[in-house]
Amino acid sequence: MIRWDKRIKLLFLLPAVIWVLALTIAPLFFSLYLSFTDVKREVVITGVEEIPILDKDGNPKTRSDGSIRTKKVKQKELQIKYDWVGFKKYKRVVNDQEYQDAAKFTFIYVIISVFVEIVLGLFLAFLFNRRIYGRGFMRSLMILPIFATPFAIGFMFFTILFEVSGPLAWMGIPFLSNHNWAPFSVMLVDIWQWTPFCFLVFLAALQGIPDDLIEAATLDTKSAYKIWTSVILPLLQPIIVLVILLRVAESAKLYDYIASLTKGGPGTATQSVSFLVFNKAFKMNDFGYASAGSFLMLIVVMIFVMLFFTRLRKTYE
Amino acid sequence: MNRNQGSLLTSIYTIIALGITMIFFFPLWWSFSNSLRIPKETFTVTGVGIPFINFTPTLGNWTHQLSFPEAHIALYNSSFIAVVSTALAIIVGLPAAYALARFRFRFPPNKDITIWFISQRVLPPAAAVVPFFVLWNMLGIYDTKFGMIIVQTTFIMPFVVVIVRQTFLDLPIELEEAAMVDGATHIGAFLKVAVPLSVPAIAAASLIMFTFAWNDYFFVSVLMMKNFTLPIYIAGGVDSRGVQFWFIAVRTMIAVILPLILCLLAQRYIVRGLTLGAVKG
Amino acid sequence: MINKVITTFVTLLSALAIALPAVAGKHVNWKDDGTVDLIHEDGTVINITREQLGAAYGPDEKPFEGETITVLSLDSGPKGGISGPLYSARPIWEELSGAKVELALVPFADLYSKMMLDMKNGTGLYDATITGAFFYGDLVDGNYIIPVEDIGYGTPDYGQWSYDSIPPNLRKLHEWNGVGYGVMNDFDGQVFYYRTDAINNPEMAAQYKAETGDELKVPETLQELLQISAFFNGKNWDKGDDETDYGTVLHLKVGEQGHYHFQSLSASFAITPGPLDKYHGVYWFDPDDMTPLINSPGHKAALNFLKELHKTGPAAQIGWSLGEAWDVFLRGKAVFTFSWGDVGSLCQDESRSNIKGVCGSIAIPSSTVYYDHEKKVMVETDNPVTYGNTTGGTWHGVVSQFSENPEAAYAYLAFMATEPWHMWSAANGWTGVDPGAYFNYLEPNGTATMDQYDAYGWAPTDIQMYSDAYYDNYTAPISLEYLRIVCTPEYWDIMDKNLSAAMSGQKTTDEALDDTAASWEEITDRCGRDRVLNMYQEAIGYNQ
Repeated sequence: MIRWDKRIKLLFLLPAVIWVLALTIAPLFFSLYLSFTDVKREVVITGVEEIPILDKDGNPKTRSDGSIRTKKVKQKELQIKYDWVGFKKYKRVVNDQEYQDAAKFTFIYVIISVFVEIVLGLFLAFLFNRRIYGRGFMRSLMILPIFATPFAIGFMFFTILFEVSGPLAWMGIPFLSNHNWAPFSVMLVDIWQWTPFCFLVFLAALQGIPDDLIEAATLDTKSAYKIWTSVILPLLQPIIVLVILLRVAESAKLYDYIASLTKGGPGTATQSVSFLVFNKAFKMNDFGYASAGSFLMLIVVMIFVMLFFTRLRKTYE
Repeated sequence: MNRNQGSLLTSIYTIIALGITMIFFFPLWWSFSNSLRIPKETFTVTGVGIPFINFTPTLGNWTHQLSFPEAHIALYNSSFIAVVSTALAIIVGLPAAYALARFRFRFPPNKDITIWFISQRVLPPAAAVVPFFVLWNMLGIYDTKFGMIIVQTTFIMPFVVVIVRQTFLDLPIELEEAAMVDGATHIGAFLKVAVPLSVPAIAAASLIMFTFAWNDYFFVSVLMMKNFTLPIYIAGGVDSRGVQFWFIAVRTMIAVILPLILCLLAQRYIVRGLTLGAVKG
Repeated sequence: MINKVITTFVTLLSALAIALPAVAGKHVNWKDDGTVDLIHEDGTVINITREQLGAAYGPDEKPFEGETITVLSLDSGPKGGISGPLYSARPIWEELSGAKVELALVPFADLYSKMMLDMKNGTGLYDATITGAFFYGDLVDGNYIIPVEDIGYGTPDYGQWSYDSIPPNLRKLHEWNGVGYGVMNDFDGQVFYYRTDAINNPEMAAQYKAETGDELKVPETLQELLQISAFFNGKNWDKGDDETDYGTVLHLKVGEQGHYHFQSLSASFAITPGPLDKYHGVYWFDPDDMTPLINSPGHKAALNFLKELHKTGPAAQIGWSLGEAWDVFLRGKAVFTFSWGDVGSLCQDESRSNIKGVCGSIAIPSSTVYYDHEKKVMVETDNPVTYGNTTGGTWHGVVSQFSENPEAAYAYLAFMATEPWHMWSAANGWTGVDPGAYFNYLEPNGTATMDQYDAYGWAPTDIQMYSDAYYDNYTAPISLEYLRIVCTPEYWDIMDKNLSAAMSGQKTTDEALDDTAASWEEITDRCGRDRVLNMYQEAIGYNQ
């Protein structure tokens, strides 16, 4: 390593660090503060200035009764009051049946969809790692879902899961109208979009395994199953863990799909924490509830990330 | 294993793979097919919705949607915000990536700084959006492209830092040292040697960042009102009288077509990008 | 390289998009006979007198030259409900006034939040909002909107329209304490639609007689309706295909407008008929202390009825919003639906409907049992009275207190409230603007003529029934009271979720409505019981 002077290295690093600090940590603290307060916002009009409206020649425009038309510019003041209320909001959130249901749904959603994505992704990677025709082309088609706009995907699936005459209607499953099935429909969307991602990563990892390692193992046993469990999976393990971490963190944010697919319904069967919090904040103007609700969620996600912390540190050694 | 058996297996695997590929491709196809149908046929077309075979296609929805300025505004806003945020993220993030690859920090150590950058991706947007909303209002940058760019830049920056850091690590340091022996400054070595050699990785990171900024709905729906982007424009296809799937399909296509093309262009780098540099594709 | 590709692509896309629109023509033709032709982009011409148009406009008079207004609206694009007419009117009115109109796009679910954010912060981004009548509580409470009298209503300057042309039940949705705030546009109320060919089919009638022992006729009570709906459901009575058809189709999706079905339907179960007092004519709350009535035996009976009714249609309708449900009825696959006026006019639109000419309508039949809030018993009656409703948004424009050009904003809204323009938008299905003003009804109830509707492609039998059904609904002696208090969206949100849970079987009827009542008590306390109570009494005109 070159011996660089200290100021230079800080000059390189600090802008990004300050940027991110200022725009994530600071708002988070503010959010924390909000979750302990009641916010009252009120606009007070302090004065009205009437400016005559002029036409092209500079003469004031008039109404039919001869009075002059004016533009009313209002001076106003936004008064925001913060009242400290302690843990009241948290108590309300924790005891709220809707929040509990949303947390439960989000949890189950994350577990099942990530699990399916990993398994399916592994299977596909295995398949594509074989000698097959047109691999490049199919691979290209496979990965298209990853970058599609999630919010639009919700609508896309609405037409696909349409129960009366949609393309999957022959299955006779009440995809969106039954509170037991609807959660799976949302998971299906997640699985559709993100299995390709898992597949792609695992495929890259599989292709990175040196052939002689596999050949050596083939000498020992002819069982493909054995080779997978004793050689390939252990080698893939760090990558699988990383993918789990990324997927869990991403899918816990669930908002876009249900905003366009189910609206959290039927009833509250597919209401995620993000969706509930968003509605409380921006439909009901209940920012305190929203902050408290999202903080609880943040804490849970953070605990989860911490569990993976040592593994992550190794990855970025 | 004899040759015939091998090619038979290959065929079987190919068929399975093709089947699965088609299943994954189908929703996109269906949406495209929807955009070519008259409203009455949205839910009635059978089969896999092939134009001319299953129904008579029309371009009516497309011409209709594109003939109003709202479509252009959305397209322009989305492109502008995504391009500028990406550029900004690169300008700010690239030196940090370089610093993390080339210098040693002690408190906190390099890898912890890297992980800290990554943790921004883990942060639930729901936790950050309320303060953003309040602050943006206070600062008067609510409902501005500028405000939106700041937000997007923040949340896509980890990509460039982490992805390009890995590339810088792989570059032989001797090249930069040679440049500095020739009299270049540190900054010169970075700009003239390291950056040009990492262009592919930077491009990959850009594509991914661009797509994330382009696709975002959550922040845009809160922080924008008059200035709307494509996802909001799509949402606008739902009115008091229900979802207009025929228009939504058009809008969806307008929104996804660019990311899909980028995705194909950037295929080689997606793995590294989306795993935040942990897996080399 | 890649950047080049992107730039080229974006440029290409935008170029394509910009190249497509037709060359903007002239939208206004000042004729010598004192009338004016307003010419739409698609060539439709609306003729209007200069008096109706407003004295401020003239061939050389552009009263709002250089001003810009922004209108916030539900958006579904240029050919969609509610926003459609705004798009159509824009180029015409821009040419008339010299002003520039910007339309802000907001999906239905975001309208309330966007509007309130702008109002609460006083940013004044939007000069006018096409608002739902259920937002009035919040709008009036914060003093966020301007009475129309202050900005040009009653003067000859701008588009001429009058509150006197609206039936009282609807008129009061535009006012608060007798002061007018809203500029009339859309009128909402649900009526009941049925397939005349199915009900009049002698074969079906014979079969119905054999199965139930009753005559097949247009239902007069809800109980009859259910029986007929159940009879038709699952049979292939619609000609010409091998799909099985349905009885009643509904739009019950949560977070959309499913709860309105419950409101319209439950009125005749849950309201005790009689002049307004503590027990009679009330639906939402006890007007003395804000005790929720939503879990009364009448409401519960209504929800049970709705559950039964929904079983006579596609199960998928639990997840449907308006468009999907209407689609089934319009394609001829269901015998009944009850919904807004859009269905009647969409029936006439042959790009979406197969049932033009057989699309009958009547005011929603009433239940033969209702709950007496005073005696606390369910009462049976053979001849229930008609219950009207103004269910829905009655989407219309209000002008923001923070607007810099309130008069221009008002003038734009008033332009669309003039009789010729309103007739055009009410008679066309896609506009989402539904009839309600006296001039929308056929003679003798109103002043519209068959020719006018004929010009917009209506089948004569359809329009006759449609006009009568709406007239009956809006002038009914008893009408479902409209909830217009602060926090209304919150009350409705939790009710909506619980109703949806009940319909999908996640909760029982009792659980759903009892939970709703409990949440309502909590909301009332949070929003301030006295404040809410006062507004409630004011909104329904209740004096102790």
